[in-house]
Amino acid sequence: MTEATYRGTATVAREMELIRRVAAGDRRAFEELYHLYHRRMARFLTRLTHRYDVAEEVINDTFWVVWRKAGDFRGESAPSTWILGIAYRKARSAFRANARRPEENLEVLPDVLTHETPATGAELRDWLGQALDALPVEQRMAVQLCYELGHSCEEIAAIMNCPVNTVKTRLFHARAKLQRLLPQLAEPRTGTAP
Amino acid sequence: MRAPLGHEESWLQLPWLANGRLSGELRAEVEAHVHGCSDCALELEAQRTLCRTLQSPDTVTYAPAPSLRKLLQRLDAEPAPRRETLRRREVRRAWRPPGLAWAATFVLTVGLGLLVAGTYHWSQPLYVTATRPAAAPTVLHVAFERSLPVGEVGEVLQRAGARVVEGEGGSDVFGVVPADTGAAPAGRAQLRALAARLRRDPRVRWIEPLASDAQPEP
Repeated sequence: MTEATYRGTATVAREMELIRRVAAGDRRAFEELYHLYHRRMARFLTRLTHRYDVAEEVINDTFWVVWRKAGDFRGESAPSTWILGIAYRKARSAFRANARRPEENLEVLPDVLTHETPATGAELRDWLGQALDALPVEQRMAVQLCYELGHSCEEIAAIMNCPVNTVKTRLFHARAKLQRLLPQLAEPRTGTAP
Repeated sequence: MRAPLGHEESWLQLPWLANGRLSGELRAEVEAHVHGCSDCALELEAQRTLCRTLQSPDTVTYAPAPSLRKLLQRLDAEPAPRRETLRRREVRRAWRPPGLAWAATFVLTVGLGLLVAGTYHWSQPLYVTATRPAAAPTVLHVAFERSLPVGEVGEVLQRAGARVVEGEGGSDVFGVVPADTGAAPAGRAQLRALAARLRRDPRVRWIEPLASDAQPEP
């Protein structure tokens, strides 16, 4: 099943309510919120870092902040923007720390991940994964936040704490590079970027 | 009226047209441009392919339970964060002035302090008293009834135990001291006692108050 990327009003209201309960110390609400976000954050972060242990660390660091700071959330942005903004900062720190470590192949931990039958288009996804690795981390994050998690330009700017035009510029460069690296994306094209 | 969206801006907006997050007027403008621009139409297809590929189902299933267990253990091991109700927090925020207000309060306080100090300074007299405080009295000045004969004056003084050391000099005021002091100057206590004795006699019209009564005994 394809995960819904557009956060509907009802979903946002539900998550707001959960955060309000978390602010009051409600563990059940916290666990529900964790389950709501774990899958997409795990996929986003594992794709970014190639290490599930790092992704798990970032998710838990993020939700540790959510638990402690839920009372500070004033609803000025969508809950997903707030939570992913925390995750973004944690991921950047983890990414920098990880870049200094010797390479360890911990991409998949068999006790927490189970393989399923590959879906159609798996080959393209693998190639896209490799192409994304060739992008600078900020561009890669912008691509994932836009295409994978379906955030608007303004939401991505809030998550990455940068101007809207910076988001557009990062995606512009990322798109140009992906076109060169992925013939599937460039094949039907006859035109060029402005 | 706004100019139609250019090719460059439309191109930049295509990722959000592809992921469905472009809304309202901007969406209509980008779609209108894409309709008449083959380059943008092709790019939009590529963008949609990107969305489909990155949103396609995972080949792995992420199990959140072990991670959540670790996190809950971590939360249990740490002191609970201080919880505040929304209402209390709003009240606290309402009474907490922002940074600029703090600065203004500080400036106002300092200004008021200087004003009070300046007012006190200017309220003080601009002159300095150069005279020294009066020395302790050695003589008690008294006045008797005008019609009192000299003999009776002598009798009043004798009864009170006083002797005249300064004449009346036309002013009806005599300077008297206790009779037993001799040449030594009379003490304040002696003068006070003498004044008390003289006040008991109705023929004494006036006794000069002892100005140094409030001062401590030497």
